Amino acid sequence: MSARPNKTAPRQRGRSRSSGGAMAVWLIAILVAFVATVQLRSQAEVERSLQSADPATLAFSIDQLHRSNDALEAQIASLKQQQSMLQAGGGDAVDQQLMSEANQLRMLEGLVPVHGPGIVLTLDASGLTSLDLQDAINNLAAGGGEALALNGHRIILGVDIEQSDIGVSIDGTAVSAPWSFEVIGDPNRLAETADLMTQQLRGDRRVHVAAYSVAQDLVVRAVVTERPFVYAVSS
Amino acid sequence: MSRSQLVSSGVIALVALAVGFLLAGQIKAQLLTPSNQVARNQALVHSVQDLERTNDSDRRQIAALRAQIDALEAQAASQSDTTRALQSQVADLRAHAGLTPMRGPGVEVELANGSPSADPTGQARYLVNFQDVQDLVNLLFGAGAEGISVSGRRITPVSSFSGSEGEVVIDQGPPLFSPIKVLAVGDRNRMETALQDPALLPSLRVRQLQFDLGLKVTGAPDLALPAYDASLEIPHVGPA
Repeated sequence: MSARPNKTAPRQRGRSRSSGGAMAVWLIAILVAFVATVQLRSQAEVERSLQSADPATLAFSIDQLHRSNDALEAQIASLKQQQSMLQAGGGDAVDQQLMSEANQLRMLEGLVPVHGPGIVLTLDASGLTSLDLQDAINNLAAGGGEALALNGHRIILGVDIEQSDIGVSIDGTAVSAPWSFEVIGDPNRLAETADLMTQQLRGDRRVHVAAYSVAQDLVVRAVVTERPFVYAVSS
Repeated sequence: MSRSQLVSSGVIALVALAVGFLLAGQIKAQLLTPSNQVARNQALVHSVQDLERTNDSDRRQIAALRAQIDALEAQAASQSDTTRALQSQVADLRAHAGLTPMRGPGVEVELANGSPSADPTGQARYLVNFQDVQDLVNLLFGAGAEGISVSGRRITPVSSFSGSEGEVVIDQGPPLFSPIKVLAVGDRNRMETALQDPALLPSLRVRQLQFDLGLKVTGAPDLALPAYDASLEIPHVGPA
């Protein structure tokens, strides 16, 4: 009876060592499979993204991001200057800073008349819809427009340009062709944008005349009416 | 375990490892296009990724600077009635410009790419594009929205939309891709009614039928919009 445990004990120890070794092999094999899978999946993902983005799209993104990052860095410089003035000056400096910001925001929100260099784009066309006009406004804004009026109506994003059976209305007022877009902004960028737009628009059967001119100093007197928030609260 | 068993286990493990790497290497080599087109695209992709990182870091810096300026102004306003009145005016203007977070009732609209079915025009019309987002934002403002954000980007009075197929760029980017989530705070009932009108958003509705493009609208009693975190500079504009 006493011999059995003596005989079996080494065998059990041996089995436990052997199962430990097998487990190590399995663990390594699982690790290998995992590494291989990760490697393959990451490669496949890179492949998919490269296939989905063609060089033209990537080039567009690079150009757009360069321009955007320049604008963001200009904003950072302006905010840092603002911050330094606030830190250095007393109450008067703060008041001046706040007045300056208020004036800037009123111009941006279309609440006051503005002037500056820009372009005037005119379209003599029949049958253009509110969507066509919104497209043109967006193209001009994306192409360097900083303040804009259409047929004497100040336009900011949020102004209602609506289509009805009788035509187009801007904030409830009926408007009709010919269309005149007065745009203040970087005149060189705007001229490039207007050039492309007029070329494309001349291919549209509804458009009889599409032309633009660069203005050294354009005055936009139209303003939008301030609308207080009814539903929204600042948080 | 005897020495020989240990050695054999080690050999098996090494062989398994080598086989795994060989297998991965072989399949990886087969995945690569045998031209330098991929290398060129990879270089472009890396450039885009670097620029996006800079863009993200600049935005965070702008948000931090605006918060610091707010704090300095609030400190000064606590000491002067004039400053307090000015600060209140500026706070209202900032809210309308999208420079402060906003909350309230509204709608959430999700736009998602459709199925890449055969498109006879070859224009990938099953993808959500920037005009879709532009049309939707214009519709929502026309239907009583007081503030809008698009996939976390707040819309301002001077926002613009651009992009290429399947890519939406708002203001200073970076590009957004499907699914695009538009949140609008304002007159919830008017916005929901407008979004149900089959005569509005014609391009989206046609493509919804043709390519199964996603357009999901959900009303919500309380939505939160972030503050705008990019540039609002208008250097060529002055008061008339």
